[in-house]
Amino acid sequence: MTDTASDPRVIVGRLSGSFGVRGEVRLKSFCADPAAIADYTPLTTDTGLTFAQIVLTGQIKGGFTARIDGVVTKEDADDLTNVDLYALRSALPATDDDEYYYADLEGLTVLDTGGVTLGKVVRVVDHGAGDLLDIAVPGQSETILLPFTQAVVPTVDLATGRIVADPPDGLFPTA
Amino acid sequence: MARSVWKGPFVDAYVLKKAEAVREGGRNEVIKIWSRRSTILPQFVGLTFGVYNGKKHIPVNVSEDMIGQKFGEYSPTRTYYGHAADKKAKRK
Repeated sequence: MTDTASDPRVIVGRLSGSFGVRGEVRLKSFCADPAAIADYTPLTTDTGLTFAQIVLTGQIKGGFTARIDGVVTKEDADDLTNVDLYALRSALPATDDDEYYYADLEGLTVLDTGGVTLGKVVRVVDHGAGDLLDIAVPGQSETILLPFTQAVVPTVDLATGRIVADPPDGLFPTA
Repeated sequence: MARSVWKGPFVDAYVLKKAEAVREGGRNEVIKIWSRRSTILPQFVGLTFGVYNGKKHIPVNVSEDMIGQKFGEYSPTRTYYGHAADKKAKRK
């Protein structure tokens, strides 16, 4: 995730060159529903390009083939190799209650119920037994995984960038 | 080949002992276990186990739909994070 001045950007996919000779591109989607990437337009790149429209034309191994506005020849498509695509955070649909985008949780400060800072969320992972917050603890090289449940994480305040956690005994060395 | 039913599910004895101690004590703690081969039993529901993946203990909140699986299935030994993109986390 990269921050712009007003609206943060979220990486949603990657272009990996041309497909065929008619200006189609190979597109890898990082979205939960891969085909949803076309709904998050306009997509931008690190080099300042903006694509207002993306039409998925087919499926290939590991991704899609797509037509992008402004890309009409194979040469244009070849130039778009290993180019990351970003969507504006505001383009993502609203979430339900108690549902949060991974991108929103990353970077939040984690405090315990006494107000002591425990660390910062570096990523959110799900190994099949519920979501886990991966927390970087100051002064420690190893990160600590915290279950993202009502009991363990009673408060998530996106406005102030804080999470209040009540971690189980023995999870944090200082807790 | 599937395990014979008459044998019952396999669970390392120390896992049962630790789970029972935490349940009786009513403590809020992660039960550290190394036994990835143990089966998840109904009496483990609601407890949080720290299942070793060879490097660290991964917290596993046991829910009803996990009964009959092995602990190791929820503690991957290889790292792949991918991108956050539009993935959502739900607080249960």
